Amino acid sequence: MLSAIGRAFRTPDLRRKLLFTLGIITIFRLGAFIPAPGVNYANVRQCLDPSVTGEQTGIYQLMNLFSGGALLQVSIFALGIMPYITASIIVQLLRVVIPRFQELYEEGAAGQSKLTQYTRYLTIALGLLNATTLVSLVRSGQLFPNCQLPIIPDQSIITTLLVVITLTAGTGLIMWLGELVTEKGIGNGMSLLIFTSIVAAFPTALGAIWTSKGPGTFFVVLAIGLVTTALVIFVEQSQRRVPVQYAKRMIGRRTVGGTSTYIPIKVNMAGVIPVIFASSMLYLPALVAQFNTPTDGSPIPGWVEWINNNLTRGDHPIYMAIYFAMIIFFTYFYVAITFNPEEVSDNMKKYGGFIPGIRAGKPTADYLQYVLSRITLPGALYLGIVALIPLVALVLVNANQNFPFGGTSILIMVGVGLETVKQIDAQLQQRHYEGLLR
Amino acid sequence: MEVLTIILQILLGITSLLLTLLILMHKGRGGGLSDMFGGGMSSGLASSGVAERNLNRFTIILGLTWGIVIIALGLIMRLTSVGDS
Repeated sequence: MLSAIGRAFRTPDLRRKLLFTLGIITIFRLGAFIPAPGVNYANVRQCLDPSVTGEQTGIYQLMNLFSGGALLQVSIFALGIMPYITASIIVQLLRVVIPRFQELYEEGAAGQSKLTQYTRYLTIALGLLNATTLVSLVRSGQLFPNCQLPIIPDQSIITTLLVVITLTAGTGLIMWLGELVTEKGIGNGMSLLIFTSIVAAFPTALGAIWTSKGPGTFFVVLAIGLVTTALVIFVEQSQRRVPVQYAKRMIGRRTVGGTSTYIPIKVNMAGVIPVIFASSMLYLPALVAQFNTPTDGSPIPGWVEWINNNLTRGDHPIYMAIYFAMIIFFTYFYVAITFNPEEVSDNMKKYGGFIPGIRAGKPTADYLQYVLSRITLPGALYLGIVALIPLVALVLVNANQNFPFGGTSILIMVGVGLETVKQIDAQLQQRHYEGLLR
Repeated sequence: MEVLTIILQILLGITSLLLTLLILMHKGRGGGLSDMFGGGMSSGLASSGVAERNLNRFTIILGLTWGIVIIALGLIMRLTSVGDS
């Protein structure tokens, strides 16, 4: 393991890529600590102190997680990658609704780069929207409900506009940084940046547990985290291999095909996206309830109270049940979007491939659909259970909801980590093999 | 001090807008969400022409200016607030 790392740094090409990636990550983390202009940093610090604010409410929890704590610090990278994620999700979903997007997607590289371009425009638009929301929240003092210190002392229009513009530019810059990593570094830039944010929140969260609950709980939490990680890795790596036989064909003077391979169908094909979807959907009712809570002291409407009682607290059974059901739904939904059995079977037919014992064409597509929907069931259940771990732990250990080994963070960490290590490994093997041949 | 702050603020507004525009002018590289979180390997053909390289250079310079202006504004704010109290 260690020698492999050494070898990675001795390969000039790979070393350049690794250092580049590390450099970008450093810039990204540095930016998370620079306060946006007009923000009084000392006041923010005081408001962030848990002894002043008490338990933080859950609405901004996920966003804060994805920005590595930058959101609540109102720094220049406060919005993090969330706008880009939301934009990508929206563009992906629009493929189902707008035929033009589906056409572009099927066009291949050219069409897809156009889709990426749409995603980028949408990101900036969403960034502008999010920045405005954040600034208005800060100005009305709703970001820290228990803290009365002014975050932005200067309330003039110009300062407000300036902050909004700066935050939007910060979102754009993050997007560009991520793309640079994808292009010149190693791994997928966006996911690596999310990974960085989540990992960066770890030491603080663990330290908080150590100081508030003592070493006993700390080690229990650590053990649970390690076991969960092992389980997640196990499930992420498992796949069903559907055998495919390719017929031998003569093209010119060469024989092509005649090989047998397999289509890997992962147990969890959707990744963490269903979890992200479900949690962002579940924040909506809480947000609606917050906007509809009367401020003038008149009685709270019944439905708002019901939402406040049942849907805003993570440890409520109704919340958990809805969360679980939503994750299962979104898993099936997302798998249906990303893996199209008819397309796969068409492609196989074109190149003379078939699954042994099953006729090409529609029967193959039906068979793939059958295998897919059967294997997605355990995948969906697994996702739901993993996502519920932090909520259950909240009840059991009586810890903060921001449980560091929570489902979403572990899923993202393992997913991104495995992928990046695989890519480094692939590059390394390429080098090594080449070196042996010469 | 106040003149400097206003100048810096104007500069910040301009650089922010320009930065956003320049970033939008880049070609998108990330393949979107599908290859995030464990999708396939995607190594696009890296075609960095002269235009793209110049664009990169401009963006880096502008980004640096943007960061420096923000830090300067923050420093001025902190110094003045210390002076007040």
